[in-house]
Amino acid sequence: MLTIDNISKSFGTYRALDGVSLHVRRGSVFGLLGPNGAGKTTLIRIINHIIRPDGGTLLFDGHPMTDADVMQIGYLPEERGLYKKMRVGEQAIYLARLKGLDKATAEQRLRQWFDRLEIADWWNRRVEELSKGMQQKVQFVVTVLHNPQLLIFDEPFSGFDPVNADILKREILRLKEQGATVIFSTHNMPSAEELCDDIALIDHAQVVLSGSLADIKASHPGQDLDRIFINTVRSY
Amino acid sequence: MNKILLVIQREYSTRVKKPSFWILTLVVPILLAALYAIPIMLATKPMEHANVLVVDDSGLFQGQFRSGRDITYFDAGSLDYAKRQLASVDTLDAIVFIPARETSIPQDAFLYYRSDAPSMSVQSDVNSQLQEILRNVILLDVHGITPDDYAMLTSTHIRLRTQDIETGRDGFLQIKLVIGVVLALLVFMGVFMFGSQVMRGVMEEKTSRIVEVIVCSVKPFQLMMGKVVGIALVGLTQFALWVVLSGIAMSGVRIANADLFEQATSRHSVTEVASKGTEATTQYEAARYQQAQYEAGEGIDNDLKDLIEGLASINFGLLIILFVFYFLFGYLLYASLFAAAGSLVDNETDSQQFTLPMTVPLLLTFLLLPAMINEPSGSLSTWLSIIPFTSPIAMLFRIPFGVPIWQIVLSVVLLLATFPLCIWVAAKIYRGAILRYGQKATWRDLFRFVKTKN
Repeated sequence: MLTIDNISKSFGTYRALDGVSLHVRRGSVFGLLGPNGAGKTTLIRIINHIIRPDGGTLLFDGHPMTDADVMQIGYLPEERGLYKKMRVGEQAIYLARLKGLDKATAEQRLRQWFDRLEIADWWNRRVEELSKGMQQKVQFVVTVLHNPQLLIFDEPFSGFDPVNADILKREILRLKEQGATVIFSTHNMPSAEELCDDIALIDHAQVVLSGSLADIKASHPGQDLDRIFINTVRSY
Repeated sequence: MNKILLVIQREYSTRVKKPSFWILTLVVPILLAALYAIPIMLATKPMEHANVLVVDDSGLFQGQFRSGRDITYFDAGSLDYAKRQLASVDTLDAIVFIPARETSIPQDAFLYYRSDAPSMSVQSDVNSQLQEILRNVILLDVHGITPDDYAMLTSTHIRLRTQDIETGRDGFLQIKLVIGVVLALLVFMGVFMFGSQVMRGVMEEKTSRIVEVIVCSVKPFQLMMGKVVGIALVGLTQFALWVVLSGIAMSGVRIANADLFEQATSRHSVTEVASKGTEATTQYEAARYQQAQYEAGEGIDNDLKDLIEGLASINFGLLIILFVFYFLFGYLLYASLFAAAGSLVDNETDSQQFTLPMTVPLLLTFLLLPAMINEPSGSLSTWLSIIPFTSPIAMLFRIPFGVPIWQIVLSVVLLLATFPLCIWVAAKIYRGAILRYGQKATWRDLFRFVKTKN
């Protein structure tokens, strides 16, 4: 689905990514792990064509990634944000239309999603009237509305209570069953263990560990992902 | 292209739906209508009648105060008597007291009142009558000039007309000045008002972090231009509504007070109103009202003639076309810079670091207006009206006075050439800065953003 080949990026003298290569299999859930400031968000922004890498290439479905391919991505940034003064429904339709959906389809799909998540009565409320958790739920729906092939979630569970985090997990797995490929970055190792097929551990701008979750656990017998994470980052 | 339309549509509809947009849209015509109606209503509305006692110990003012429609003067013998009257009779309002003279010309006069101070109109009537009576006394006693002669002398009026010897037409410089300054002010305020809306819009997207989601769907340039154009349309809508609503409000005022307007605008009724209260018995007063007639009637006629001829001498077709052109491109030039400034900062206070230097040309032109007024075709005015960053204000100010065609063409061409360049630079800065948080941007960052390829 997505091949990241030898990507590097510097900001001034600061090296954010140093020759990062990864492969994300179609239909898998890929966990991007690593301590704060390791370069995860920079990598995600490069995949979304928000910033340009200094070197390296991205292959999407086997071809060099274009701006049109970015439209096949649903991206939930770590720093969530919506227009505070706009009404929920109106805003969701606007963002969906920017992704290329027509108005009628966008509204129909939104109504379905809102009904399933039991948030239909938020439709006409202003975003600023919603709690932070509620806003995140709306933003999650907006992210997946255009049925993207590739979903990228940056710290999707931060700011959610356990009940809503569980709803979110189930929705992510449901999307995977429907054929979507998912990349998500997290600090929450239990949820990574629960959801991921493959993981990559990034530290100091480099990939220090990657592979399928099963292989990695087999090569570190008796350790959970938390322990593996801490030991790998320390020894590096 | 479709996406930029979506952005424009959102920028437009969210702003036009805001209550603040409609409040501003309604308040301006209401204010204008009030400004239009209040002076006329005040002028024609009868005031409360005042009764004033005059106590003259100097011997110069006795019987000289003339009562009017709103004030009646009564001579009262002694101050003590007058004071007792004022204290006991409710319909009396004040006492004018002129003490006995120590010098040949009295220095002080007093206005006594009970509890409520006399109104400003009573005070000013008393004051002007005091001055006038004293002046007449001196004119007659010292110089032998009668009030009639004086009225005749002061009623002469010679009009100074400025004329171009080539065309032989009047210059009407004052009217042109007013139009020029109003146009310059409109552009100045419009650019600042709508430019800062652009900046706040950009900052809202940046601080709410929604921009990270949006730039995955639209290019930063599309987002920036969509906002600039959307807000320009909001501004045009507001101006159009102001013009239409002000027109409606003013004709409403005119229709509702048709009788008052007839009184106030017809020359004959003006003099009638003025003379109604007082009977013009003496020749002096007749002369006085002749003068009033001149001022109210012929004076207005001449001013009106000047105004109409002056307006006719201005090329309004050209003026309107150039006004729209300079307003639009002046706005686009500065709005793109405001957008860049908004992308550089996290809050409004920091924004001044960038908005201040970039608006210097605008402020400078505005501050130099007095110098330009002095010499609308001088070298300062000419240069400012050609330089792209100052021309939207300076050229519009000069247009009513007539500007050589080559200067207009040069100014327009330079502005058209600068505008894409300015937007290009602004878009570069915007693209580089919009996703940076926390670090305060410096001027060096700015140059780096501009140099960054693509």
